[in-house]
Amino acid sequence: MSDSVFFAIAPLLVVSLGGLLLMMTEVFATRRADADGPSSDLAMGTFITMLAGAITAFALWLVGPDNLAGAKAVAPYLLVDRFTLFFDMVLCLGGGIAALLAGGYLPEHKLDRGEFYPLLIFSTAGAMVLASAGDLLSLFIGLETMSLGVYAMVGFRRGSMRSTEAAIKYFLLGSFAAALLMYGGALLYGVTGKTALAGIGAAIRAGVSSTDWGILLLSMVLILAGLAFKVSAVPFHMWTPDAYEGAPTPATSFMAVAVKSAAFAMMLRVLISVFGDPLSTSWGTGWPPVVALLAVLTMTVANLVAGRQSSVKRMLAYSSVAHAGYVLVGVVALVEEPGTAQGSIMFYLLSYTVSTAGAFGALILCGSRGKEAVSYEDLAGLGKRHPAVALIFSFFLLSLAGMPPTAGFFGKLYIVSSSIGAGLHTLAVLLVLNSVLAAYYYLRVMEYMYMREPAAGAPIAVPMRSGYVRAALAICAVAVLVLGLWPTSSLSMAIDAALALR
Amino acid sequence: MATYLPLFMLFGVAALIAGGMFVATTWAGPKVPNDAKAEPFECGNPSDGARNIRPSVKFYLTALLFVVFDIEAVMIYPWAVQFRELGYTGFFTMASFLALLAIVLIYAWRKGALEWEK
Amino acid sequence: MSSFAVLAIAAGLIAAAVPTRGSRTHRLSLAAITAFVVLAIGWLWPEGAATAPAAAKEAVEGADTSPSILLNLLIGVPIGGAIALLFLPRQMLSLVRGFTYAIFAVTFLLSLWLLSVPMTDGWHFQYIADWIPIAGIRYHVALDGISLWLVVLTTFTTPIAAFASFGSIDKRIKELCIAFLMLQGAMIGTFLALDLFLFYVFWELMLIPMFLLIGIWGGAERRMAAMKFFIYTMAGSVLMLAAILYLVWTHHELNGFWTFDYLALCQVVLPGVPGTISPQALCFWAFTLAFFIKVPVFPLHTWLPDAHVQAPTGGSVVLAAVMLKMGTYGYLRFSMGLFPAQAAHAAATLAGLVIMFGIIWGALCAWKQSDVKRLVAYSSVAHLGFVMLGLFGATTSGIKGAVLQMINHGIATGALFLLVGVIYDRRHTREVSEFGGLAKVMPVYATLFVIVTMASIGVPGTNGFIGEFMVIAGTFVSERLNQFGPIQAVAAAFGVILAAVYMLGVVQKMFFGPLSNPKNKTLKDISPRETLALAPLILVIFLIGWFPQLMLDRMDAAVQTTRLRFVNTVLEVSPNPKAAQAVPPGVFSESFLKGAPKKPSADPKKKKVAMRPTKRGGAK
Repeated sequence: MSDSVFFAIAPLLVVSLGGLLLMMTEVFATRRADADGPSSDLAMGTFITMLAGAITAFALWLVGPDNLAGAKAVAPYLLVDRFTLFFDMVLCLGGGIAALLAGGYLPEHKLDRGEFYPLLIFSTAGAMVLASAGDLLSLFIGLETMSLGVYAMVGFRRGSMRSTEAAIKYFLLGSFAAALLMYGGALLYGVTGKTALAGIGAAIRAGVSSTDWGILLLSMVLILAGLAFKVSAVPFHMWTPDAYEGAPTPATSFMAVAVKSAAFAMMLRVLISVFGDPLSTSWGTGWPPVVALLAVLTMTVANLVAGRQSSVKRMLAYSSVAHAGYVLVGVVALVEEPGTAQGSIMFYLLSYTVSTAGAFGALILCGSRGKEAVSYEDLAGLGKRHPAVALIFSFFLLSLAGMPPTAGFFGKLYIVSSSIGAGLHTLAVLLVLNSVLAAYYYLRVMEYMYMREPAAGAPIAVPMRSGYVRAALAICAVAVLVLGLWPTSSLSMAIDAALALR
Repeated sequence: MATYLPLFMLFGVAALIAGGMFVATTWAGPKVPNDAKAEPFECGNPSDGARNIRPSVKFYLTALLFVVFDIEAVMIYPWAVQFRELGYTGFFTMASFLALLAIVLIYAWRKGALEWEK
Repeated sequence: MSSFAVLAIAAGLIAAAVPTRGSRTHRLSLAAITAFVVLAIGWLWPEGAATAPAAAKEAVEGADTSPSILLNLLIGVPIGGAIALLFLPRQMLSLVRGFTYAIFAVTFLLSLWLLSVPMTDGWHFQYIADWIPIAGIRYHVALDGISLWLVVLTTFTTPIAAFASFGSIDKRIKELCIAFLMLQGAMIGTFLALDLFLFYVFWELMLIPMFLLIGIWGGAERRMAAMKFFIYTMAGSVLMLAAILYLVWTHHELNGFWTFDYLALCQVVLPGVPGTISPQALCFWAFTLAFFIKVPVFPLHTWLPDAHVQAPTGGSVVLAAVMLKMGTYGYLRFSMGLFPAQAAHAAATLAGLVIMFGIIWGALCAWKQSDVKRLVAYSSVAHLGFVMLGLFGATTSGIKGAVLQMINHGIATGALFLLVGVIYDRRHTREVSEFGGLAKVMPVYATLFVIVTMASIGVPGTNGFIGEFMVIAGTFVSERLNQFGPIQAVAAAFGVILAAVYMLGVVQKMFFGPLSNPKNKTLKDISPRETLALAPLILVIFLIGWFPQLMLDRMDAAVQTTRLRFVNTVLEVSPNPKAAQAVPPGVFSESFLKGAPKKPSADPKKKKVAMRPTKRGGAK
């Protein structure tokens, strides 16, 4: 049994087959005219599918990927290791929470069409492929599978110009990024004659001629640019605020959480397996200075711009850009402290996933039909009118701001720690100072919720009621608290999962 | 080069026949022009009028579905060539691929993507 | 014991007779508070029969018998109470308030229990548990004679602040109670934490309730003030976090295991010679900056006047009484404890800075304020300048005076803020020019104000005198301050005079002279509720003023050893500009190192998943 290929890629199979099953149930389900829309059962179904995927991944974790004989059959296209499994869990978590959010959001905003859920599931499956890809081909397939679904989800609100604009923007820039990646990949193939990441890395380590080194550098730059697009690092972030703001909020949450995590998984794999040789990782000739520059720009610009937003959703979009910057600091630290840095990145992505999904979920909960809460003014006085919603929103914001005792705090601490350990003191100081900048705009939301009253005559956003959204928030809140107070087990998992440790 | 000579000859003959037919009809055929015949092409959208008309989304749906189900042939062909060598593994792989396509077809069908009039 | 009981009853009777128009409850409460204070004096009396025999026995056996769960309760009860309060219905105001009072009462009684153990050298009530073993983070709380009084101060003033707030605030009581309870728990935790991670957690946790207190119930500019307070403090503390992590890494380089424990990190000497830019200097400044912002020391004080003026009375009281002490306590415990060489090197310069810009400039600023609350806020800058001066001097007398002055400032300034709150509730203005001749319409209020003013100035007989005297005496003889000591002592004494000038000036303008403003003619005198809030503070002013030994005795051992540790480390560790080194064994006493983390023995069952798996060459 454990020799089987199916066993080795079980999480992926569970998610994909669950998606197919849900597609069929949706089209064959008979509904009375007055019944609830498709969301009523699909949301739960999607969540359960994702949960099953996460549990399968955890089960494989316990079995130990080394004991899976079947894993060799899919290598190097799909690598089954703890790194993959960890990301499988993170991505399933992100996808599952997005599904629950959609279950509340779509019916409330009259977008209740069943297509959303298969798109979500297959995007997640694509992201899982991406996280486990060990070959340029499967990497590209995963990337496109993930992206196509997300493009459609972004434009899901067909009647809205904003949503359509967001989808077009995201589609064009996303395809552009994919093209850059592909070009970079093609150059790599041209130099080394291999498509497997490990093979390319080995060929580079074995030494290349100086002409080829020029091509390699070009491909490195192209791939980094493509990756920077995907993780929305400044200056490749222009699409992010528009796409995040225009998309339906559950889709935004999915993009901020799962897509970004998968992109970072890809980044880690590519940088470690392909560009892990001493020359590429040196500060004189390799990627560290480029990534460091990206990190500094991303943190600083995003935080400065986020403070100037008048829309909370847009602010959260910029904040997710800023968080990408923090993670990039960890990526730079990979060079000196491979294990710690990678563990910190992965733990950070996990904590960021629950905090961000929670924040978007709370934002969803703040608005209702016809009046989505998007601006700061919409939230004015919420702490008085709806204390529970305001409290939980504040909790997630504080986690994003990195206040103890939340997941966000420990994640940030750990990233700072790894960068200090790697000797990147300047970057570490810039990171912590940036988190002060960030605290300003997170607190501004709290300021509006607790310390202001809505302007006289302004329309008041009434929080919606939805068991799905509440369930999602409860999951996120518990996760944020547990990861913040007792991070030991998840942290040791993240460290176990670090590639460099193998 | 010599190996490809027949091929080039085939191309030449094909071009000759096609061109010859054009020439022959222009000379030999009767000419009774009417409005319909004056159209440059006889199906699809009218070739004049406003340019910003929006074709029905059904065209795109159909085109997409066509692409999806047409590409399957590209996948099946190499399998068919290697049918015996691939054995049962190949058979079941292809069967699951076709099952996937069938599910997609059912989905499209039930969702109403195949209905032109509704 | 019995003589004190008789005294207590007598004092209670006198107190009950004092209010001329008071109701029965009012009289009873005042009597109870007074009797309680007298009993407390008797109980704390060093050599009389008043010391409980059980406590005396413990003194012989050492501190090991002290119940270690107590500190957990002190931290846990308020925080747990705040969480429990979330689930109480907000409409039932009396239930919410009663619950809060109950929690405060429990915490206060628990903190009195702390006093029953004689404060010998070393840590008391120590409690250690693994928290995040993978990163070497432990839950480590312990108490010594210094933090003891700060904890008691916290449990003593927070209920008073809350009590005063309930008098003037009538909206969103539930949130108010939650904020106060969270604040108290976090503040106590900050004073008790000996693990730097834990310390940082409490340190940050404290910000949020205070942010809400200022921002929700404050004055007109409350949002700006709250934000300013938060951002300032956080900016300092994140740098401290980076420095903590640097220390932790260095400790790992030296000893090969992870820990955030204060006792272990104390033994790490970072590379660097005082006076040059080095990791040691940078880390010292990262810590010190965080504490200086909190104190606040010029030029980082600009958040303070705004925060104080905008905060509601209760918030101001807690802010002044306890939160500012975090900075001074942090400097004493962490900046001086972890980087003694740097602290010693910078002491003379910093002392000059706090005298020039804290004590004197702060006093001059206070003098020019037209808003009473702002005046009190600037006087805080001046008072805490004394505290810092005592710490920089690092003599026994100076440190003791500084610790005592922390308490004094908490009591006196807390009382001043309460008094300003009283007049603000009546007139909704705090402009000095609006008042004049108030003593005619509010005689009791005027009396109390004058008493507290005396304490704040440091008139002999009140608590302020003892602290300031000890600080100045310590400065005079300090060897840390080199030849500047005497001059600085004189300058600081000049600051005391300035304090008298501005405080008495405002008293004169507000309470005496003609009752010119017609709006003031109908003002009611201080209410029973307000007297009850003030009574304990005023009694404690005299208690410390007359019997300072009650406090000094208990902090003696801790101050002595803290100072010795500081001086010895400076003397015995020769600075190394290149590499980190460990403090040689023997510099720190056994009792200080009790509970320090040991290098974990290699456990074959446990996987070796440390924070860093691979060996990296060379120290950075």
